[in-house]
Amino acid sequence: MEFRLRPARDHGLPAEERLRSLSRERGLGGLLLGSAWRMALRGYLAAFHRLEVTGREHLPPPPFVLIANHCSHLDALTLSAVLRGEAARRAHALAAGDTFFGSALSSAFAAYAINALPVWRKRTRSGELATLRERLVEDRLVYILFPEGTRARDGAMAPFQPGIGVLVAGTQVPVVPCFLEGCHAAWPPQRRWRRTAATPWPGRWPAPARSRPRRGWRRSLARACATAPRAWAAPPSAVWRRRRKA
Amino acid sequence: MIRQDAFAHPVTVGIVAATAAVLAAAAAVIGAMALGGRGSPELRRELWLRLGSWCLLLPLMMGPVLLGREWVVGAVTLLGLACLREFDRATGLFREPLVAGLVVLGILAANFAALDHWYGFFVALWPLTVGVIVVGTIPRDRPQGYVQRTALGIFAYMLFGAGLAHLSYMANEPGYRPILLMLLTTVALSDVAAFTFGKLIGGPKLLPATSPNKSVSGALGALAVTTLLVAALSSAIFAGTPMARPHWLILLGILVGIGAQAGDLMLSSIKRDIGIKDMGTILPGHGGVLDRFNSLLLVAPASFHFIGYFVGFGLDQPVRLITGG
Repeated sequence: MEFRLRPARDHGLPAEERLRSLSRERGLGGLLLGSAWRMALRGYLAAFHRLEVTGREHLPPPPFVLIANHCSHLDALTLSAVLRGEAARRAHALAAGDTFFGSALSSAFAAYAINALPVWRKRTRSGELATLRERLVEDRLVYILFPEGTRARDGAMAPFQPGIGVLVAGTQVPVVPCFLEGCHAAWPPQRRWRRTAATPWPGRWPAPARSRPRRGWRRSLARACATAPRAWAAPPSAVWRRRRKA
Repeated sequence: MIRQDAFAHPVTVGIVAATAAVLAAAAAVIGAMALGGRGSPELRRELWLRLGSWCLLLPLMMGPVLLGREWVVGAVTLLGLACLREFDRATGLFREPLVAGLVVLGILAANFAALDHWYGFFVALWPLTVGVIVVGTIPRDRPQGYVQRTALGIFAYMLFGAGLAHLSYMANEPGYRPILLMLLTTVALSDVAAFTFGKLIGGPKLLPATSPNKSVSGALGALAVTTLLVAALSSAIFAGTPMARPHWLILLGILVGIGAQAGDLMLSSIKRDIGIKDMGTILPGHGGVLDRFNSLLLVAPASFHFIGYFVGFGLDQPVRLITGG
């Protein structure tokens, strides 16, 4: 990437405001903290959840949007921990602002440990999505996103929200679906910890708006993105039958 | 290593007492303005903010000097890293973590050499660190932007590592306290004098495209005040040494005065080039750490080598305290 004499996007923001800013960029200290956090997290996930990852080799170079089914707070931690190299350094989890950025302390944790960017449910403005999209392309970022919008309380995958379409509209950024298994059982306080596995799916979906947007394209894209994780969520025999039919 | 009492030298006592008195007087003046309703509320708020920042900064600046050699080295290291962070984020060098990391290592190494009292290593670090920065990113096989990121890395190391670390090395002289306090306070006073003379006298601008608020009268007034003050304090500090000649003392004053303003203008040039007003937001009323300490960047090496030419620093003290040899 060519060097540009350009200040940080969040330059001039007061410290607390910077933590909650969608323009936040990490420096050397943030990178080191993030790396240390990911290492610790990987160790924890491997030791206590016997985390297994398959298909990591299918991940494209940044930028891309990594989406997955969402049923636990472990989901974002797991996905951010399994990324490697440049993708890991450029990864931002898009996290619920009201949950993770409510106080200065939680904001600092979300910003420095998981490098999260806040998305404010039901009050996200189009300008904020445009900022996210601009950064995704220009800064070659990786977004970790859960298109269901919230954790599925019963563990079953809910329909994807159409916001994912707005995020990649007009770009060539691939959307990489991934299926997480075991997180729902692992997180609830009443249940015992158990195995968690993250399985990136090799398919990619190009941006929908390269051609002229049609009515309902956002929902179409959301449905397309949901196909792979839903297929993985089904029993293996069902997936196999579907593939043979195809 | 010989250690002297914190207040062994009368100049140390005088500078600390005068600083406390100036802060108290400033608080009294701003308080009187508030009581008398003089000046706009915004102006008074700005003055309180600046005074508050000074009340925090001055103990942070003077405290390590009074506490001892190791504290000075620690404080200068932190200052260098804080300046680097702001510089990184203003110029975009932080997007090159490898270069930024090498500069961090250079800053740590330069201050370690000062702590170890190893002048040979201290001097060798200039070319060595530059060499490491120049070579460091080549294995990544990414020539795009090589000149820019390497040049910025070297620039940052020279200013915040090699340059500032001269302050650390000065602390190897048993009688370092009055020298460091003189430099810290006169450099800070140079900024205040430039602002005051510029407001009182006005006149043509010094370099309007670089720094629109600086006037020729402010620059000359600051130079005169700094020169006289440094010469006066130096005559007491360096009494009985080969440097205690009026022309050398005045020359040191001119060096500090010009160095302080040149450092300020250098940072203004960087800011104008990038298109930002301040380097940071951490000090209310001042901006960033670099906005406050820019005047020290060039003064530190210049005064070190000037004073070193006549009297040296820690010449009769044990060397390589940590590494041995």
